[in-house]
Amino acid sequence: MRPYELSLTAAADAIRTGRLSPVELVDSVLDRVERLEPQLNAYATVTAERARRAAREAADDVAAGRLRGPLHGIPMGLKDLIDVAGVATTASSRVRADHRAQADSTVAARLSASGAVLIGKTHTHEFAYGLTTPQTHNAWDTGRVAGGSSGGSAVAVAAGTAVFTLGTDTGGSIRVPAALNGVVGLKPTYGLVPRHGVTSLSWSLDHVGPLTRTVEDQALVLAVLAGHDPRDPASLAVPARDHRPGAAEDLTGLRVGVPRNYYFERVDTEVEAAVRRAVDGLEALGARLVEVEIPMTRYIQATQWGLMVPEATAYHERTLRAAPELYQADVRTLLEAGELMPAGDYLRAQRSRTLMRREWARMLEDVDVIAAPTVPATAVKADQETITWPDGTVEAVSDAYVRLSAPANLTGVPSLSVPVGHDTAGLPIGMQLLGRPLGESVLLRVGHAYERTRPAREPATAA
Amino acid sequence: MSAAELTPSEAARWAARAGLPLPAERHAAAAATANHIHSVVAVLRELDFGDTPPAPAYRAGEEQHDAAV
Repeated sequence: MRPYELSLTAAADAIRTGRLSPVELVDSVLDRVERLEPQLNAYATVTAERARRAAREAADDVAAGRLRGPLHGIPMGLKDLIDVAGVATTASSRVRADHRAQADSTVAARLSASGAVLIGKTHTHEFAYGLTTPQTHNAWDTGRVAGGSSGGSAVAVAAGTAVFTLGTDTGGSIRVPAALNGVVGLKPTYGLVPRHGVTSLSWSLDHVGPLTRTVEDQALVLAVLAGHDPRDPASLAVPARDHRPGAAEDLTGLRVGVPRNYYFERVDTEVEAAVRRAVDGLEALGARLVEVEIPMTRYIQATQWGLMVPEATAYHERTLRAAPELYQADVRTLLEAGELMPAGDYLRAQRSRTLMRREWARMLEDVDVIAAPTVPATAVKADQETITWPDGTVEAVSDAYVRLSAPANLTGVPSLSVPVGHDTAGLPIGMQLLGRPLGESVLLRVGHAYERTRPAREPATAA
Repeated sequence: MSAAELTPSEAARWAARAGLPLPAERHAAAAATANHIHSVVAVLRELDFGDTPPAPAYRAGEEQHDAAV
């Protein structure tokens, strides 16, 4: 196995035991970047020289017995909304052409302190306001969308051009591209990972989280990212936890909620079949399946839009007036239209969120996790704008992709997307595990138990 | 077009009131998108909120508090 193919857990173990040097690992990943980037375009910026320098320092530290932890010497990418001192945070937008971050974001500083090595900044749908990341290509089929908005982050992990990456998730932007590229993506509980120094799309819905090859890898990154930072007003002061799943595969006694409404409606038959097979797999591991009714589904999209649209427009108020022509057409129109939303609509969405949160808390008293598809369809062709469902309804691709992931943003609960196979076209399918607030350990335990029943995943094959 | 929908010139006027003068070629697109967004969020008017306060953002741990009330 070549170094770039290693999971984070395996690479960390190899570095710790001296079987692999951070220099070899970073060189292997940079070679892969050089070979695949022309086809994939996952990166907005590659910081190769900086990475090679950091790798040499990491190797010197290992030689001197100064191992900082499991991320020591591990090459990673950061979504290009996340500030790294001295590097542009372009948000994949011409609006930020001359940008240069003055300081590290909290997450970049924590990763740097843990010894992780920055390979580059990954592409996002412009300012995270979209679900496809059109400039980046799917790791399994370059004629198809990467998903978004953390498209570059997901493609890089899938293709082996980063061992792990960070993304952001406002309606599904970590989990959607994770599902479409066959990698693991976690949207943590709202407030668990500080967002200081991360460009906002919608303050009350934004989250930062990891994309990795395995569920086990998630725990290693989350342990470094989580923790209170008063510079993010939403940041939670909760004690540090070890989220690493144990070796046990047994899920006896665990109650897995299977939605009887919403999550399996207007879902591609191959996606539904793969997720139901995976749910049966959880039952085979000892879990008890419990039907659940998802509350207030009629109001999910309305609440999401009622919150996100005016918050995004507020964030961009100055630049929308100063340089509107620099935005892409889709984002500019959404930002302009957001100026026309009355405060009453925003307040209704906030009150609806109060009701939804209560109803979800009640539902989650009866189950430990909920299992559902992450997205209702696999990656569509790059020029496809709508999906026509068997009931005759036509849905915009972006509306379809966000439909099943948005509830976790509204309610703040953690959600983990895990690969559960491929459709007949060879495209990855994702299952979403939703848990109680701060229930990340349970999600990782269930995801890991499932993953151990499956053969190890290979890097994506498109390029 | 329903009475609740904005015409392109009305959208331009609303935008101007919000401090965003829109060039003429933007009026139709802004109106169409604003009308679509309105049609999505308008369903929230069906909800009877009673005394429900707004949730400006989510706070973990508040569920237990709510359940005890």
